[in-house]
Amino acid sequence: MDKLITAILDGDSAMAVSKARQLNASGLSPEKIIIEGVEAAMSALDTKCTLEDFNLLEIMLAGRAVMEVTKLFWPSGAVKDSAKGTVVIAALEGDVHDLGKNILKMVLTGKGYNVVDCGKNCPLQKLADAAAAERPLAVGLSGLITTVIPVVRQVKGALAARGLDNVKVFAGGAALKQSTPGMLNVDFVAESAFDVLRFLSGLGKGIR
Amino acid sequence: MPELTVITGGTERKITFPGGLPLRKILEGAGLLVRSGCTGNGACGLCLVKVEKGNDGNLTKNERLLLSASQINEHIRMACQMAPQGDLSIRIIDEGAKSAWRELPQESGRPITAKSGQGTGTASPGKTFGLAVDLGTTHISFSVWDMAQGKRVFGRAGLNPQSRFGSDIITRLTAASESPEKARIMGRLPLEAINGALADGCAENRMHPADIRHVRFVGNTPMLALLTCSSPAALLRPDQWTRPFDCAAADAPVFAAALGIHQQASVKAVLPFAGFVGSDLLAGVLATGLMSAPGSLLMDFGTNSEIALWDGTTLWVTSAAGGPAFEGYGIRCGMPAGPGAIFRASRRLDGGGVDFHVTGGVRARGICGSGLVDLIASLCVTGELAANGKFTGGITSYPVQEKDPAICLYKPDVDMFQRAKAATGAGVRILLEMAGINAGRLNRVCICGDFGRNLNVANAQRIGLLPDVMPGKVEICGNTALAGCEDVLLSLRKAQELEQIRKRASIVNLSRAPRFEDFFLDGLYLRPIPDGNP
Repeated sequence: MDKLITAILDGDSAMAVSKARQLNASGLSPEKIIIEGVEAAMSALDTKCTLEDFNLLEIMLAGRAVMEVTKLFWPSGAVKDSAKGTVVIAALEGDVHDLGKNILKMVLTGKGYNVVDCGKNCPLQKLADAAAAERPLAVGLSGLITTVIPVVRQVKGALAARGLDNVKVFAGGAALKQSTPGMLNVDFVAESAFDVLRFLSGLGKGIR
Repeated sequence: MPELTVITGGTERKITFPGGLPLRKILEGAGLLVRSGCTGNGACGLCLVKVEKGNDGNLTKNERLLLSASQINEHIRMACQMAPQGDLSIRIIDEGAKSAWRELPQESGRPITAKSGQGTGTASPGKTFGLAVDLGTTHISFSVWDMAQGKRVFGRAGLNPQSRFGSDIITRLTAASESPEKARIMGRLPLEAINGALADGCAENRMHPADIRHVRFVGNTPMLALLTCSSPAALLRPDQWTRPFDCAAADAPVFAAALGIHQQASVKAVLPFAGFVGSDLLAGVLATGLMSAPGSLLMDFGTNSEIALWDGTTLWVTSAAGGPAFEGYGIRCGMPAGPGAIFRASRRLDGGGVDFHVTGGVRARGICGSGLVDLIASLCVTGELAANGKFTGGITSYPVQEKDPAICLYKPDVDMFQRAKAATGAGVRILLEMAGINAGRLNRVCICGDFGRNLNVANAQRIGLLPDVMPGKVEICGNTALAGCEDVLLSLRKAQELEQIRKRASIVNLSRAPRFEDFFLDGLYLRPIPDGNP
C-alpha cells in the first residue's frame, strides 16, 4: 500500500496502476484500495499544497495517477457505488477554462466521491438537469473568469426550481475565491480543491 | 473626519475621509494612483501600501492568500482590502501606470526609410503625413510618417491609460460592460493619450498635427472594440471568440477631432481576424513575411500569447491565455520591462550568486520576463531547480539581491511561470499538430513583441519556451504589429497583402483541442520541447 501511495505522490501513473492491480490480485477490494491507498495519498498531498509550496505540475501528475487507478476499477472513471456520495461539478456557461475543475475532479475522485463532470462552458439548465438525475450531496462550480459570476448566482434558484433546495452549492477558482458566499449566492467558497474536502466532510452523507 | 497621511515619493499629503471606505477608493478620490491589476476586489495583490502609523484593522482572507509572511510583518496591506476608521499614515509602495511617453526605439517597426513610398491618399498641396498606431492592452506605440517620401518623422511608445480599469482584457471588458458611458470613457482614453504625445512630437519635429491625413490602427480585438465602441461586452461571450468581429464603426471626424489631426483624415482600424485574434497578429504576419516559407512560426508573448504557423497552404492562428508572468506580473519580485528591471541574469558557476543586468543602469527593483527566463534556466543548469519546477536541496526560494529591495525568486513564482509557458507551449504544439509539422523541422521562428527583445534564445529553448531549432532559425523581430501597421498605412499593395493573409488564416480554439491538457501538462516541465508528440 505504501508503494501505491508513493507512486501517486510521485505522479507515476504506470507504477500506481501496477501497484493497485497487485493489491487487488492479492485480495484487497477496490474500495479498500481507494480508502487506504488513494485517499491517504490525497491527504499527504493536501498538507504539501500550502500556498508557499504549491506546484500545479505535481498536483496534475498525482491527479492523473489517481484517475488511472480509479479507471482500473471503474472504467468510467467515477466511483459509481461511492459510500461518500455524489458531487456534480461544472465550469459554467461563459467559462471555457477547466483546469481548476479537472483538479477538483481528481481530488474528489481520489477521496472516494462519485464525481459527475458536466464539463466546461456548461449551460445552467444542463447542470440543473444533471443534479436532478444524480441527487448529489453537493454541486461544485469552478470559475476562472469573473464574468461567470452572474450565472453562478443563479445556480441555487435553478436547483430549487427542480426541488433540490437541500443540495449544497460551493464555488472556487481564480475568479470566484475572492468572493463571499453571500456575493455568489452559494453555501461555501473554497480556496482550494482540498478546502472543498473539508466542506464536504462536514456535510456528512447526502441524499442518495 | 479622520485624516489620512500619504507618503509618496518623498512628499506627504493629508486627506480627510469618511470612515469605512476602502483605502483604494480614498486614494483614487484624492487623485493618488496605486498600481493595480483588478477592479479592487482583492484578486491581483498589487495595490500594496505600508502602514506607518495608526490602526489598520485586521487582514482579510484575500490578504492572507496573497501577502507573504515578511510583508505581513512589515505592515504591508492591500489598499482595496482595508477600510480605515481612524487617523492613519501610509506609504504607497508602487504608484499606478503613468502614461509617460518615450521615444520609440530606432529598431522598432519597419525600416525608417521605406524603399518606395507610395501613399494611400491622393497627393495634395503641402506635405501629407500618416499615423500608424499599435494599440496594445498594456502599451501603445505609434509612428508618424511623411507619406510621399516614405520616411519616419518620429515615433513614441507609452502605456495604455485604460489599465486603470484593469490590467487584463477580461477585467477591462467587464468594466466596459457596466455602462455605455464607462465604455465611451475607456474608448477615449488612448486617443487622449496619443493626442498629447502627438502634439509634443509634432512640435519637436516642426510639423503640424493637422497635416496628418491618414491613420491606421492595429490591435487586439478587445482594444479595437473599446476604441470604436463596437459592443465590446459581446467579446466576453466564448461564441464570439472565433468569429470575425466588426470594429469598423469608427466615426472618422470624431476620431480626427480627438486626435487633433486633419478634420477629414481617413481614420481606419485594420479589422481584427476574430474575437481573440486581433489585427496586430495579422500585421505581424505581414511585417515578418511569415508566409514566404512553409514551416514558419510566429510567437508574440504576453498575457494572451498570439501564435501563427504557416504550413504552405494554411495560416493557423490562435491565442493562448497563460497569465501575465511574461510581463512580470503575478511574480512576487516581478515588474514590467523598464528602468530598474533585471532583464538578463546568469547564475555564477563558481557558486556565488547571480550576475545580472538592469535596464537604465539604475539599482534593480525587480525582474522582468526575459530576466525570469534567464534566472530559471540557469538555476535548472546548476540543478538548483528541478525540471518539475521545485527547488532542490531543501531550499524554497532563491535570493537574487539581498536588500534595498530584496529580490528573491519563490516557488509560487516558478509555478506561475511554468503555467504561462505551458499555455503557450500547448498552443504551439496544437498548431504544429494541425499543420503536421514536427517542432524540430521548423524553418523560421519569429519572436515578436517587447518580451522577445532581450530574450536569451538558448535559455528559452533550454526550458521549453521556444521550439528546439537551430539558433540561426530564431529571429527576434521587435514590434511587428506596428511595422505591419506602417506597411498598411504606406502601401496599398501591403494593405491588399494583409487581406490575402486574412483569407488564408484559420483559427484554432485551444479550449476545444482534445490534446490541450496533455500538451499543457508536458509544457509545465522546465525542459526542451520534444520534437514529436508526447
